[in-house]
Amino acid sequence: MGKLVEKRTVDMQVIGEWVEPQSRVLDLGCGRGELMAYLVQAKQVQATGVDLDFDKISACASRGLSAYQGDMTAFMRAFPDRHFDRIICSRTVHELDDPAGVVLEALRVGSTVTVGFVNHGFWKNRVDALVRGRKVRNAVYTTSWHDSRPANPLSIADFEDFCREKSIRVARRAHLMGDWRRPCAVLPNLFAGYALYDLARS
Amino acid sequence: MIDDVQAQRAPAQPRRHLAADDVGIVRPRDYTHPGLFTFTSGQSIQGFTLRYETYGSLNATRDNAVLVCHALSGDHHCAGWHSEVDPKPGWWNNLIGPGKAVDTRRFFVICANVLGGCQGSTGPSSINPETGQPYGIRFPFVTIRDMVHAQKLLLEHLGVDELHAVMGGSMGGMTAMLFAIEYPSFTRRQIIMASTANESAQAIAFNEVGRQAIMQDPAWNNGDYPREGGPRVGLAIARMMAHITYLSDAGMDRKFGRRKRESAGGESYTFDAQFEVESYLRHQGQSFINRFDANSYLYITRAIDQFDPAKASGSLERAFAPVLAESLVVGFTSDWLFPPEQNREIALALLRAGKRASYAELSTDLGHDSFLLESPDLYALVRGFLERPDAYHFDFAI
Repeated sequence: MGKLVEKRTVDMQVIGEWVEPQSRVLDLGCGRGELMAYLVQAKQVQATGVDLDFDKISACASRGLSAYQGDMTAFMRAFPDRHFDRIICSRTVHELDDPAGVVLEALRVGSTVTVGFVNHGFWKNRVDALVRGRKVRNAVYTTSWHDSRPANPLSIADFEDFCREKSIRVARRAHLMGDWRRPCAVLPNLFAGYALYDLARS
Repeated sequence: MIDDVQAQRAPAQPRRHLAADDVGIVRPRDYTHPGLFTFTSGQSIQGFTLRYETYGSLNATRDNAVLVCHALSGDHHCAGWHSEVDPKPGWWNNLIGPGKAVDTRRFFVICANVLGGCQGSTGPSSINPETGQPYGIRFPFVTIRDMVHAQKLLLEHLGVDELHAVMGGSMGGMTAMLFAIEYPSFTRRQIIMASTANESAQAIAFNEVGRQAIMQDPAWNNGDYPREGGPRVGLAIARMMAHITYLSDAGMDRKFGRRKRESAGGESYTFDAQFEVESYLRHQGQSFINRFDANSYLYITRAIDQFDPAKASGSLERAFAPVLAESLVVGFTSDWLFPPEQNREIALALLRAGKRASYAELSTDLGHDSFLLESPDLYALVRGFLERPDAYHFDFAI
Protein backbone atom coordinates (compact mmCIF):
# COMPACT_ATOMS: atom_id res chain seq x y z
CA MET A 1 0.00 0.00 0.00
CA GLY A 2 2.84 2.35 0.87
CA LYS A 3 4.27 1.87 -2.57
CA LEU A 4 0.92 2.65 -4.17
CA VAL A 5 0.46 5.82 -2.15
CA GLU A 6 3.92 6.91 -3.23
CA LYS A 7 3.08 6.27 -6.86
CA ARG A 8 -0.12 8.26 -6.50
CA THR A 9 1.79 11.27 -5.24
CA VAL A 10 4.23 11.07 -8.17
CA ASP A 11 1.25 11.27 -10.48
CA MET A 12 0.05 14.32 -8.58
CA GLN A 13 3.43 16.02 -8.71
CA VAL A 14 3.65 15.81 -12.51
CA ILE A 15 0.10 17.07 -12.93
CA GLY A 16 0.83 19.76 -10.35
CA GLU A 17 3.72 21.00 -12.45
CA TRP A 18 1.53 21.27 -15.52
CA VAL A 19 -1.42 23.02 -13.90
CA GLU A 20 -1.48 26.80 -14.14
CA PRO A 21 -1.98 28.62 -10.81
CA GLN A 22 -5.52 29.85 -10.12
CA SER A 23 -6.89 28.02 -13.13
CA ARG A 24 -10.28 26.33 -13.29
CA VAL A 25 -9.77 22.58 -13.12
CA LEU A 26 -12.17 19.65 -13.53
CA ASP A 27 -11.13 16.24 -12.23
CA LEU A 28 -12.95 13.35 -13.90
CA GLY A 29 -13.17 10.41 -11.52
CA CYS A 30 -12.12 12.56 -8.57
CA GLY A 31 -12.45 9.89 -5.88
CA ARG A 32 -12.07 11.34 -2.40
CA GLY A 33 -10.50 14.47 -3.79
CA GLU A 34 -6.79 13.81 -3.12
CA LEU A 35 -5.63 15.32 -6.40
CA MET A 36 -8.03 18.28 -6.15
CA ALA A 37 -6.94 18.98 -2.57
CA TYR A 38 -3.31 18.93 -3.66
CA LEU A 39 -3.93 21.26 -6.61
CA VAL A 40 -5.94 23.66 -4.46
CA GLN A 41 -3.14 23.71 -1.92
CA ALA A 42 -0.21 23.86 -4.32
CA LYS A 43 -1.68 25.89 -7.18
CA GLN A 44 -4.72 27.62 -5.67
CA VAL A 45 -6.88 26.24 -8.46
CA GLN A 46 -10.64 26.38 -8.51
CA ALA A 47 -11.37 22.65 -8.57
CA THR A 48 -14.48 20.62 -9.33
CA GLY A 49 -14.64 16.85 -9.39
CA VAL A 50 -17.01 14.27 -10.82
CA ASP A 51 -17.48 10.78 -9.48
CA LEU A 52 -20.19 8.13 -9.48
CA ASP A 53 -19.91 7.14 -5.86
CA PHE A 54 -21.84 8.82 -3.02
CA ASP A 55 -19.19 8.19 -0.36
CA LYS A 56 -16.52 9.82 -2.52
CA ILE A 57 -18.65 12.93 -3.02
CA SER A 58 -19.38 12.99 0.69
CA ALA A 59 -15.62 12.82 1.42
CA CYS A 60 -14.96 15.70 -0.99
CA ALA A 61 -17.72 17.83 0.54
CA SER A 62 -16.29 17.26 4.01
CA ARG A 63 -12.93 18.69 2.95
CA GLY A 64 -14.39 21.71 1.22
CA LEU A 65 -14.08 20.50 -2.36
CA SER A 66 -16.79 20.83 -5.00
CA ALA A 67 -17.80 17.43 -6.31
CA TYR A 68 -20.67 16.24 -8.45
CA GLN A 69 -22.15 12.76 -8.29
CA GLY A 70 -23.02 11.56 -11.75
CA ASP A 71 -21.92 10.61 -15.22
CA MET A 72 -18.90 12.60 -16.40
CA THR A 73 -20.03 13.00 -20.01
CA ALA A 74 -23.50 14.19 -18.96
CA PHE A 75 -21.80 16.59 -16.55
CA MET A 76 -19.54 18.06 -19.23
CA ARG A 77 -22.47 18.47 -21.63
CA ALA A 78 -23.99 20.93 -19.15
CA PHE A 79 -21.10 23.38 -19.67
CA PRO A 80 -20.21 25.78 -22.46
CA ASP A 81 -17.08 25.44 -24.61
CA ARG A 82 -13.79 25.98 -22.77
CA HIS A 83 -15.50 26.53 -19.43
CA PHE A 84 -12.59 24.80 -17.71
CA ASP A 85 -8.92 25.66 -18.20
CA ARG A 86 -7.92 22.07 -17.66
CA ILE A 87 -9.72 18.75 -17.43
CA ILE A 88 -7.87 15.91 -15.76
CA CYS A 89 -8.58 12.27 -16.41
CA SER A 90 -6.05 10.54 -14.22
CA ARG A 91 -6.06 6.75 -14.04
CA THR A 92 -9.69 6.66 -15.09
CA VAL A 93 -9.54 6.44 -18.88
CA HIS A 94 -9.21 2.63 -18.95
CA GLU A 95 -12.46 2.21 -17.02
CA LEU A 96 -14.68 4.39 -19.19
CA ASP A 97 -17.58 3.08 -21.27
CA ASP A 98 -16.76 5.46 -24.08
CA PRO A 99 -13.19 6.72 -23.70
CA ALA A 100 -13.09 8.51 -27.06
CA GLY A 101 -16.41 10.23 -26.30
CA VAL A 102 -15.14 11.44 -22.92
CA VAL A 103 -11.83 12.73 -24.26
CA LEU A 104 -13.47 14.54 -27.17
CA GLU A 105 -16.13 16.11 -24.93
CA ALA A 106 -13.38 17.13 -22.50
CA LEU A 107 -11.56 18.80 -25.39
CA ARG A 108 -14.69 20.86 -26.05
CA VAL A 109 -15.29 21.92 -22.42
CA GLY A 110 -11.64 22.30 -21.43
CA SER A 111 -8.81 24.23 -23.04
CA THR A 112 -6.37 21.50 -22.07
CA VAL A 113 -7.04 17.87 -21.25
CA THR A 114 -4.61 15.90 -19.11
CA VAL A 115 -4.78 12.12 -19.41
CA GLY A 116 -2.71 9.86 -17.19
CA PHE A 117 -2.68 6.08 -17.47
CA VAL A 118 -0.72 2.96 -16.59
CA ASN A 119 1.10 1.68 -19.68
CA HIS A 120 0.10 -1.90 -20.31
CA GLY A 121 2.83 -2.15 -22.93
CA PHE A 122 5.42 -1.90 -20.13
CA TRP A 123 7.85 -4.81 -20.49
CA LYS A 124 7.06 -6.33 -17.11
CA ASN A 125 3.40 -6.56 -18.08
CA ARG A 126 4.40 -8.21 -21.35
CA VAL A 127 6.65 -10.72 -19.59
CA ASP A 128 4.00 -11.33 -16.99
CA ALA A 129 1.41 -12.08 -19.66
CA LEU A 130 3.89 -14.28 -21.57
CA VAL A 131 5.14 -16.25 -18.58
CA ARG A 132 2.05 -16.42 -16.38
CA GLY A 133 -0.49 -16.34 -19.12
CA ARG A 134 -2.89 -14.60 -16.79
CA LYS A 135 -4.41 -11.18 -16.19
CA VAL A 136 -1.74 -8.68 -15.19
CA ARG A 137 -1.33 -8.30 -11.45
CA ASN A 138 1.16 -5.90 -9.91
CA ALA A 139 1.46 -3.07 -7.41
CA VAL A 140 -1.17 -1.08 -9.32
CA TYR A 141 -3.48 -3.87 -10.47
CA THR A 142 -3.63 -5.94 -7.34
CA THR A 143 -6.86 -7.88 -7.89
CA SER A 144 -7.58 -10.97 -9.92
CA TRP A 145 -9.99 -10.75 -12.85
CA HIS A 146 -13.07 -11.75 -10.86
CA ASP A 147 -12.51 -9.06 -8.24
CA SER A 148 -11.78 -6.30 -10.77
CA ARG A 149 -13.97 -3.70 -12.38
CA PRO A 150 -14.28 -3.97 -16.15
CA ALA A 151 -11.17 -2.38 -17.56
CA ASN A 152 -9.91 -1.53 -21.00
CA PRO A 153 -6.12 -1.69 -20.62
CA LEU A 154 -4.19 0.47 -23.04
CA SER A 155 -0.59 1.11 -23.94
CA ILE A 156 1.30 4.26 -24.87
CA ALA A 157 1.28 3.13 -28.50
CA ASP A 158 -2.51 2.67 -28.36
CA PHE A 159 -2.92 6.17 -26.99
CA GLU A 160 -0.60 7.75 -29.55
CA ASP A 161 -2.56 6.01 -32.30
CA PHE A 162 -5.79 7.34 -30.85
CA CYS A 163 -4.54 10.94 -30.79
CA ARG A 164 -3.33 10.68 -34.37
CA GLU A 165 -6.58 9.14 -35.59
CA LYS A 166 -8.72 11.82 -33.88
CA SER A 167 -6.36 14.66 -34.89
CA ILE A 168 -5.79 15.56 -31.26
CA ARG A 169 -2.73 17.70 -30.67
CA VAL A 170 -0.36 16.38 -28.01
CA ALA A 171 0.94 19.50 -26.28
CA ARG A 172 3.07 17.68 -23.72
CA ARG A 173 4.07 14.12 -22.79
CA ALA A 174 5.61 12.62 -19.69
CA HIS A 175 6.73 9.01 -19.82
CA LEU A 176 7.93 7.64 -16.50
CA MET A 177 9.94 4.51 -15.87
CA GLY A 178 8.63 1.53 -13.91
CA ASP A 179 9.29 3.39 -10.67
CA TRP A 180 7.00 6.20 -11.93
CA ARG A 181 9.70 8.66 -11.04
CA ARG A 182 12.57 8.81 -13.52
CA PRO A 183 11.72 9.98 -17.00
CA CYS A 184 11.81 7.37 -19.74
CA ALA A 185 13.67 8.61 -22.82
CA VAL A 186 13.76 5.56 -25.10
CA LEU A 187 11.13 3.16 -26.33
CA PRO A 188 8.48 4.40 -23.91
CA ASN A 189 5.90 1.84 -24.97
CA LEU A 190 8.29 -0.84 -23.71
CA PHE A 191 10.08 0.87 -20.84
CA ALA A 192 7.60 3.38 -19.40
CA GLY A 193 5.34 2.26 -16.57
CA TYR A 194 3.20 5.38 -16.56
CA ALA A 195 2.29 8.02 -19.11
CA LEU A 196 0.81 11.50 -18.87
CA TYR A 197 -0.42 13.56 -21.80
CA ASP A 198 -1.58 17.13 -22.21
CA LEU A 199 -4.01 17.29 -25.09
CA ALA A 200 -5.44 20.21 -27.01
CA ARG A 201 -7.68 20.64 -29.98
CA SER A 202 -5.66 20.85 -33.16
CA MET B 1 -44.92 15.27 5.09
CA ILE B 2 -44.75 14.03 8.64
CA ASP B 3 -45.86 10.49 9.07
CA ASP B 4 -48.78 10.99 11.42
CA VAL B 5 -49.97 7.41 11.30
CA GLN B 6 -46.65 5.92 12.31
CA ALA B 7 -46.29 8.45 15.04
CA GLN B 8 -49.74 7.61 16.33
CA ARG B 9 -49.24 3.86 16.21
CA ALA B 10 -46.05 4.00 18.21
CA PRO B 11 -47.15 4.33 21.82
CA ALA B 12 -45.81 7.45 23.46
CA GLN B 13 -42.62 6.60 25.28
CA PRO B 14 -42.54 9.09 28.14
CA ARG B 15 -38.76 9.30 28.41
CA ARG B 16 -37.81 9.52 24.74
CA HIS B 17 -37.32 13.27 25.05
CA LEU B 18 -34.54 12.58 27.54
CA ALA B 19 -32.36 10.70 25.04
CA ALA B 20 -28.75 11.89 25.22
CA ASP B 21 -28.65 13.18 21.64
CA ASP B 22 -32.02 14.89 21.83
CA VAL B 23 -32.62 18.59 22.38
CA GLY B 24 -35.33 17.63 24.90
CA ILE B 25 -38.31 19.81 25.75
CA VAL B 26 -38.46 22.89 23.58
CA ARG B 27 -40.69 25.91 23.60
CA PRO B 28 -41.78 27.96 20.61
CA ARG B 29 -41.41 31.72 20.74
CA ASP B 30 -42.91 34.58 18.80
CA TYR B 31 -41.10 37.44 17.15
CA THR B 32 -43.24 40.39 16.19
CA HIS B 33 -41.86 42.81 13.66
CA PRO B 34 -43.41 46.16 14.43
CA GLY B 35 -42.82 47.99 11.15
CA LEU B 36 -44.53 48.01 7.81
CA PHE B 37 -43.73 44.93 5.73
CA THR B 38 -44.04 45.23 1.97
CA PHE B 39 -44.52 42.07 -0.07
CA THR B 40 -43.05 41.36 -3.51
CA SER B 41 -46.54 42.03 -4.87
CA GLY B 42 -46.38 45.62 -3.60
CA GLN B 43 -49.06 44.97 -0.97
CA SER B 44 -48.11 45.57 2.64
CA ILE B 45 -49.18 44.80 6.21
CA GLN B 46 -48.50 46.70 9.39
CA GLY B 47 -46.17 44.30 11.22
CA PHE B 48 -46.11 40.53 11.35
CA THR B 49 -45.34 37.70 13.74
CA LEU B 50 -43.12 34.67 13.13
CA ARG B 51 -43.29 31.71 15.46
CA TYR B 52 -39.90 30.07 15.85
CA GLU B 53 -37.79 27.71 17.90
CA THR B 54 -34.07 27.73 18.61
CA TYR B 55 -31.74 25.02 19.89
CA GLY B 56 -28.17 25.43 21.10
CA SER B 57 -26.78 28.89 21.70
CA LEU B 58 -25.33 31.73 19.69
CA ASN B 59 -21.56 32.00 20.21
CA ALA B 60 -19.68 35.16 21.15
CA THR B 61 -18.76 35.86 17.52
CA ARG B 62 -22.41 35.37 16.49
CA ASP B 63 -21.49 33.25 13.51
CA ASN B 64 -22.59 29.71 14.41
CA ALA B 65 -26.23 30.06 13.41
CA VAL B 66 -27.87 27.45 11.18
CA LEU B 67 -31.24 28.39 9.77
CA VAL B 68 -33.49 25.41 9.03
CA CYS B 69 -36.28 26.01 6.52
CA HIS B 70 -39.42 23.91 6.49
CA ALA B 71 -41.44 22.45 3.64
CA LEU B 72 -45.03 23.22 2.60
CA SER B 73 -46.80 21.57 5.51
CA GLY B 74 -43.95 21.76 8.01
CA ASP B 75 -43.45 24.29 10.76
CA HIS B 76 -41.00 25.84 13.20
CA HIS B 77 -40.91 22.74 15.38
CA CYS B 78 -38.04 20.83 13.74
CA ALA B 79 -36.47 19.17 16.79
CA GLY B 80 -37.21 18.24 20.37
CA TRP B 81 -40.53 17.71 22.14
CA HIS B 82 -43.17 20.10 23.35
CA SER B 83 -43.96 18.14 26.50
CA GLU B 84 -43.05 14.96 28.28
CA VAL B 85 -46.06 13.22 26.78
CA ASP B 86 -45.65 14.68 23.29
CA PRO B 87 -46.30 11.69 20.98
CA LYS B 88 -43.79 12.84 18.38
CA PRO B 89 -40.80 15.11 18.13
CA GLY B 90 -40.04 17.92 15.68
CA TRP B 91 -39.98 16.93 12.02
CA TRP B 92 -36.18 16.82 11.62
CA ASN B 93 -35.43 15.46 15.10
CA ASN B 94 -33.39 12.63 13.59
CA LEU B 95 -30.98 15.18 12.06
CA ILE B 96 -30.82 17.92 14.69
CA GLY B 97 -29.62 17.56 18.28
CA PRO B 98 -26.56 17.39 20.51
CA GLY B 99 -24.08 15.16 18.68
CA LYS B 100 -26.35 14.67 15.67
CA ALA B 101 -25.58 15.67 12.07
CA VAL B 102 -26.65 19.23 12.82
CA ASP B 103 -24.95 19.36 16.20
CA THR B 104 -26.67 21.73 18.60
CA ARG B 105 -23.58 21.72 20.82
CA ARG B 106 -21.78 23.56 18.00
CA PHE B 107 -24.54 25.35 16.19
CA PHE B 108 -27.33 27.71 17.12
CA VAL B 109 -30.22 26.23 15.18
CA ILE B 110 -33.19 28.39 14.26
CA CYS B 111 -36.38 27.36 12.53
CA ALA B 112 -39.36 29.65 11.89
CA ASN B 113 -42.83 29.06 10.57
CA VAL B 114 -43.02 30.91 7.25
CA LEU B 115 -44.86 34.13 6.62
CA GLY B 116 -48.24 33.10 5.22
CA GLY B 117 -48.23 29.97 7.37
CA CYS B 118 -50.71 28.93 10.00
CA GLN B 119 -48.69 27.52 12.89
CA GLY B 120 -48.37 30.79 14.75
CA SER B 121 -46.89 33.04 12.09
CA THR B 122 -48.89 35.76 10.40
CA GLY B 123 -50.90 34.42 7.50
CA PRO B 124 -54.38 34.43 5.99
CA SER B 125 -55.91 33.02 9.17
CA SER B 126 -54.53 35.92 11.23
CA ILE B 127 -56.80 38.76 12.27
CA ASN B 128 -56.64 41.79 10.02
CA PRO B 129 -56.35 44.69 12.49
CA GLU B 130 -58.29 46.91 10.11
CA THR B 131 -61.39 44.69 10.07
CA GLY B 132 -61.10 42.58 13.20
CA GLN B 133 -61.72 39.55 10.97
CA PRO B 134 -59.29 36.97 9.56
CA TYR B 135 -57.55 38.21 6.40
CA GLY B 136 -58.71 35.24 4.35
CA ILE B 137 -57.76 35.80 0.72
CA ARG B 138 -57.35 39.51 1.37
CA PHE B 139 -53.96 38.60 2.81
CA PRO B 140 -51.22 39.82 0.45
CA PHE B 141 -49.84 37.24 -1.99
CA VAL B 142 -46.77 35.64 -0.46
CA THR B 143 -43.64 34.63 -2.35
CA ILE B 144 -40.67 32.59 -1.21
CA ARG B 145 -38.77 35.89 -1.33
CA ASP B 146 -41.21 37.44 1.17
CA MET B 147 -40.69 34.43 3.47
CA VAL B 148 -36.91 34.94 3.21
CA HIS B 149 -37.14 38.68 3.93
CA ALA B 150 -39.31 38.06 6.99
CA GLN B 151 -36.93 35.42 8.34
CA LYS B 152 -33.97 37.76 7.82
CA LEU B 153 -35.69 40.27 10.11
CA LEU B 154 -36.09 37.55 12.73
CA LEU B 155 -32.38 36.67 12.45
CA GLU B 156 -31.43 40.31 12.92
CA HIS B 157 -33.67 40.42 15.99
CA LEU B 158 -31.85 37.34 17.36
CA GLY B 159 -28.49 39.05 16.90
CA VAL B 160 -27.27 36.73 14.15
CA ASP B 161 -24.60 38.55 12.14
CA GLU B 162 -23.93 35.79 9.66
CA LEU B 163 -25.41 32.37 8.92
CA HIS B 164 -23.00 29.49 9.17
CA ALA B 165 -25.53 27.68 7.00
CA VAL B 166 -29.07 27.73 5.73
CA MET B 167 -30.67 24.40 4.92
CA GLY B 168 -33.95 22.84 3.96
CA GLY B 169 -35.75 20.25 1.90
CA SER B 170 -38.42 20.76 -0.76
CA MET B 171 -39.82 24.29 -0.28
CA GLY B 172 -37.20 24.66 2.46
CA GLY B 173 -34.55 24.15 -0.23
CA MET B 174 -36.10 26.99 -2.25
CA THR B 175 -35.99 29.20 0.83
CA ALA B 176 -32.33 28.32 1.42
CA MET B 177 -31.48 28.97 -2.24
CA LEU B 178 -33.07 32.40 -2.13
CA PHE B 179 -31.33 33.26 1.14
CA ALA B 180 -27.98 32.70 -0.56
CA ILE B 181 -29.09 34.87 -3.50
CA GLU B 182 -30.71 37.70 -1.54
CA TYR B 183 -28.15 37.90 1.29
CA PRO B 184 -24.83 36.70 -0.21
CA SER B 185 -22.44 38.01 2.40
CA PHE B 186 -24.75 36.87 5.20
CA THR B 187 -24.93 33.23 4.04
CA ARG B 188 -21.77 31.12 4.17
CA ARG B 189 -23.12 27.67 3.32
CA GLN B 190 -26.36 26.28 2.00
CA ILE B 191 -27.79 22.79 1.85
CA ILE B 192 -30.61 22.22 -0.60
CA MET B 193 -32.37 18.85 -0.53
CA ALA B 194 -35.09 17.36 -2.72
CA SER B 195 -35.80 20.76 -4.19
CA THR B 196 -36.06 22.55 -7.51
CA ALA B 197 -35.20 25.92 -9.01
CA ASN B 198 -38.55 25.87 -10.78
CA GLU B 199 -41.37 23.40 -10.56
CA SER B 200 -42.31 21.22 -13.51
CA ALA B 201 -45.77 21.42 -15.06
CA GLN B 202 -46.57 18.16 -13.32
CA ALA B 203 -45.77 19.57 -9.87
CA ILE B 204 -47.79 22.72 -10.56
CA ALA B 205 -50.62 20.51 -11.77
CA PHE B 206 -50.72 18.58 -8.51
CA ASN B 207 -50.78 21.81 -6.51
CA GLU B 208 -53.59 23.11 -8.68
CA VAL B 209 -55.73 20.03 -8.07
CA GLY B 210 -55.15 20.55 -4.35
CA ARG B 211 -56.20 24.18 -4.59
CA GLN B 212 -59.28 23.27 -6.62
CA ALA B 213 -60.29 20.65 -4.04
CA ILE B 214 -60.23 23.43 -1.43
CA MET B 215 -61.86 26.15 -3.52
CA GLN B 216 -64.60 23.90 -4.89
CA ASP B 217 -65.60 22.94 -1.36
CA PRO B 218 -68.64 25.17 -0.61
CA ALA B 219 -67.35 25.68 2.92
CA TRP B 220 -64.36 27.54 1.51
CA ASN B 221 -66.72 30.44 0.84
CA ASN B 222 -64.19 32.59 -0.98
CA GLY B 223 -61.78 32.21 1.89
CA ASP B 224 -64.17 33.47 4.57
CA TYR B 225 -64.79 30.77 7.12
CA PRO B 226 -64.64 30.43 10.89
CA ARG B 227 -61.40 29.26 12.45
CA GLU B 228 -62.76 25.82 13.36
CA GLY B 229 -64.71 25.33 10.15
CA GLY B 230 -63.87 25.87 6.55
CA PRO B 231 -63.30 23.52 3.63
CA ARG B 232 -62.33 20.50 5.66
CA VAL B 233 -63.30 18.03 2.94
CA GLY B 234 -61.42 19.91 0.27
CA LEU B 235 -58.33 20.35 2.41
CA ALA B 236 -58.31 16.67 3.38
CA ILE B 237 -58.54 15.63 -0.27
CA ALA B 238 -55.77 18.07 -1.21
CA ARG B 239 -53.59 16.56 1.49
CA MET B 240 -54.37 12.97 0.52
CA MET B 241 -53.41 13.61 -3.07
CA ALA B 242 -50.32 15.63 -2.20
CA HIS B 243 -49.19 12.95 0.20
CA ILE B 244 -49.07 10.43 -2.65
CA THR B 245 -46.66 12.74 -4.47
CA TYR B 246 -44.35 12.68 -1.42
CA LEU B 247 -44.02 8.89 -1.57
CA SER B 248 -42.99 6.51 -4.33
CA ASP B 249 -44.55 3.52 -6.01
CA ALA B 250 -41.93 1.16 -4.58
CA GLY B 251 -42.12 2.78 -1.15
CA MET B 252 -45.90 2.50 -1.00
CA ASP B 253 -45.70 -1.07 -2.19
CA ARG B 254 -43.24 -1.90 0.56
CA LYS B 255 -45.23 -0.09 3.22
CA PHE B 256 -48.77 -1.13 2.27
CA GLY B 257 -48.75 -3.48 -0.70
CA ARG B 258 -52.29 -4.74 -1.23
CA ARG B 259 -52.73 -5.46 2.45
CA LYS B 260 -56.23 -5.03 3.76
CA ARG B 261 -57.30 -3.68 7.10
CA GLU B 262 -58.03 -6.35 9.67
CA SER B 263 -61.55 -5.03 10.13
CA ALA B 264 -62.29 -5.20 6.38
CA GLY B 265 -63.63 -8.64 5.48
CA GLY B 266 -62.60 -9.95 2.08
CA GLU B 267 -66.20 -10.17 1.01
CA SER B 268 -67.21 -6.64 1.98
CA TYR B 269 -68.69 -4.98 -1.07
CA THR B 270 -68.64 -1.47 0.28
CA PHE B 271 -66.73 1.73 -0.29
CA ASP B 272 -65.36 1.83 3.22
CA ALA B 273 -61.61 1.85 3.43
CA GLN B 274 -60.51 -1.72 2.79
CA PHE B 275 -56.88 -1.41 1.85
CA GLU B 276 -54.39 -0.17 4.37
CA VAL B 277 -53.27 2.51 1.96
CA GLU B 278 -56.81 3.91 1.91
CA SER B 279 -57.09 4.21 5.66
CA TYR B 280 -53.57 5.63 5.78
CA LEU B 281 -54.46 8.40 3.35
CA ARG B 282 -57.78 9.08 5.07
CA HIS B 283 -55.92 9.46 8.33
CA GLN B 284 -53.39 11.78 6.67
CA GLY B 285 -56.23 13.95 5.41
CA GLN B 286 -58.07 13.99 8.74
CA SER B 287 -55.06 14.83 10.87
CA PHE B 288 -54.01 17.54 8.42
CA ILE B 289 -57.29 19.46 8.66
CA ASN B 290 -56.80 19.73 12.41
CA ARG B 291 -53.47 21.44 12.07
CA PHE B 292 -53.48 23.33 8.78
CA ASP B 293 -55.41 26.26 7.41
CA ALA B 294 -56.89 25.86 3.93
CA ASN B 295 -56.10 29.44 2.87
CA SER B 296 -52.49 29.01 3.98
CA TYR B 297 -52.39 25.91 1.79
CA LEU B 298 -53.53 28.01 -1.18
CA TYR B 299 -51.00 30.76 -0.47
CA ILE B 300 -48.00 28.54 0.14
CA THR B 301 -48.60 26.22 -2.83
CA ARG B 302 -48.94 29.35 -4.97
CA ALA B 303 -45.63 30.65 -3.63
CA ILE B 304 -43.96 27.34 -4.47
CA ASP B 305 -45.44 27.30 -7.98
CA GLN B 306 -44.25 30.82 -8.69
CA PHE B 307 -40.73 30.25 -7.39
CA ASP B 308 -38.43 30.74 -10.38
CA PRO B 309 -35.28 32.74 -9.63
CA ALA B 310 -34.06 32.26 -13.19
CA LYS B 311 -37.05 34.11 -14.62
CA ALA B 312 -36.07 37.59 -13.47
CA SER B 313 -32.39 37.16 -14.29
CA GLY B 314 -32.74 35.40 -17.63
CA SER B 315 -30.96 32.26 -16.50
CA LEU B 316 -30.32 30.33 -13.33
CA GLU B 317 -26.57 30.94 -13.44
CA ARG B 318 -27.20 34.66 -13.68
CA ALA B 319 -29.57 34.40 -10.73
CA PHE B 320 -26.79 32.67 -8.80
CA ALA B 321 -24.20 35.31 -9.75
CA PRO B 322 -24.27 37.09 -6.35
CA VAL B 323 -24.03 33.85 -4.32
CA LEU B 324 -21.00 33.61 -2.03
CA ALA B 325 -22.11 30.54 -0.10
CA GLU B 326 -20.69 27.11 -0.65
CA SER B 327 -23.53 24.88 -1.71
CA LEU B 328 -24.46 21.28 -1.20
CA VAL B 329 -27.38 19.94 -3.22
CA VAL B 330 -28.83 16.53 -2.43
CA GLY B 331 -31.19 14.60 -4.69
CA PHE B 332 -33.02 11.34 -4.01
CA THR B 333 -33.45 8.69 -6.68
CA SER B 334 -37.11 7.90 -5.95
CA ASP B 335 -38.23 11.55 -5.71
CA TRP B 336 -40.51 12.07 -8.69
CA LEU B 337 -41.97 15.37 -7.44
CA PHE B 338 -38.64 17.25 -7.46
CA PRO B 339 -36.58 14.57 -9.19
CA PRO B 340 -32.77 14.23 -9.11
CA GLU B 341 -32.53 15.94 -12.50
CA GLN B 342 -33.97 19.18 -11.09
CA ASN B 343 -31.59 19.04 -8.13
CA ARG B 344 -28.67 18.37 -10.45
CA GLU B 345 -29.62 21.46 -12.42
CA ILE B 346 -29.29 23.62 -9.28
CA ALA B 347 -25.74 22.34 -8.68
CA LEU B 348 -24.78 22.61 -12.36
CA ALA B 349 -26.03 26.19 -12.60
CA LEU B 350 -24.07 27.12 -9.48
CA LEU B 351 -20.95 25.55 -11.01
CA ARG B 352 -21.54 27.27 -14.34
CA ALA B 353 -21.76 30.51 -12.40
CA GLY B 354 -18.29 29.72 -11.00
CA LYS B 355 -19.51 28.90 -7.47
CA ARG B 356 -18.38 26.17 -5.13
CA ALA B 357 -21.10 23.54 -5.23
CA SER B 358 -21.47 19.81 -4.71
CA TYR B 359 -24.19 17.42 -5.74
CA ALA B 360 -24.81 14.10 -3.99
CA GLU B 361 -27.55 11.60 -4.65
CA LEU B 362 -28.99 8.99 -2.33
CA SER B 363 -30.69 5.82 -3.46
CA THR B 364 -33.90 5.47 -1.48
CA ASP B 365 -37.44 4.29 -2.12
CA LEU B 366 -39.13 6.90 0.08
CA GLY B 367 -39.84 9.38 -2.72
CA HIS B 368 -39.85 13.12 -2.14
CA ASP B 369 -39.98 12.66 1.65
CA SER B 370 -36.58 10.95 1.51
CA PHE B 371 -34.89 14.05 2.89
CA LEU B 372 -36.48 13.16 6.25
CA LEU B 373 -34.90 9.73 5.98
CA GLU B 374 -32.97 8.10 8.79
CA SER B 375 -29.79 7.54 6.81
CA PRO B 376 -26.26 7.41 8.24
CA ASP B 377 -25.00 8.34 4.75
CA LEU B 378 -27.09 11.50 4.74
CA TYR B 379 -26.05 12.34 8.29
CA ALA B 380 -22.35 11.93 7.41
CA LEU B 381 -22.77 14.12 4.34
CA VAL B 382 -24.53 16.91 6.22
CA ARG B 383 -22.19 16.75 9.22
CA GLY B 384 -19.09 16.73 7.01
CA PHE B 385 -20.30 19.74 5.04
CA LEU B 386 -21.35 21.74 8.10
CA GLU B 387 -18.46 20.97 10.42
CA ARG B 388 -15.58 21.39 7.99
CA PRO B 389 -13.49 24.45 8.91
CA ASP B 390 -13.80 27.43 6.59
CA ALA B 391 -10.24 26.92 5.34
CA TYR B 392 -9.47 23.93 3.15
CA HIS B 393 -8.65 20.82 5.09
CA PHE B 394 -5.90 18.46 3.96
CA ASP B 395 -5.20 15.16 5.60
CA PHE B 396 -2.17 14.13 3.59
CA ALA B 397 1.33 15.38 3.02
CA ILE B 398 3.22 15.17 -0.22
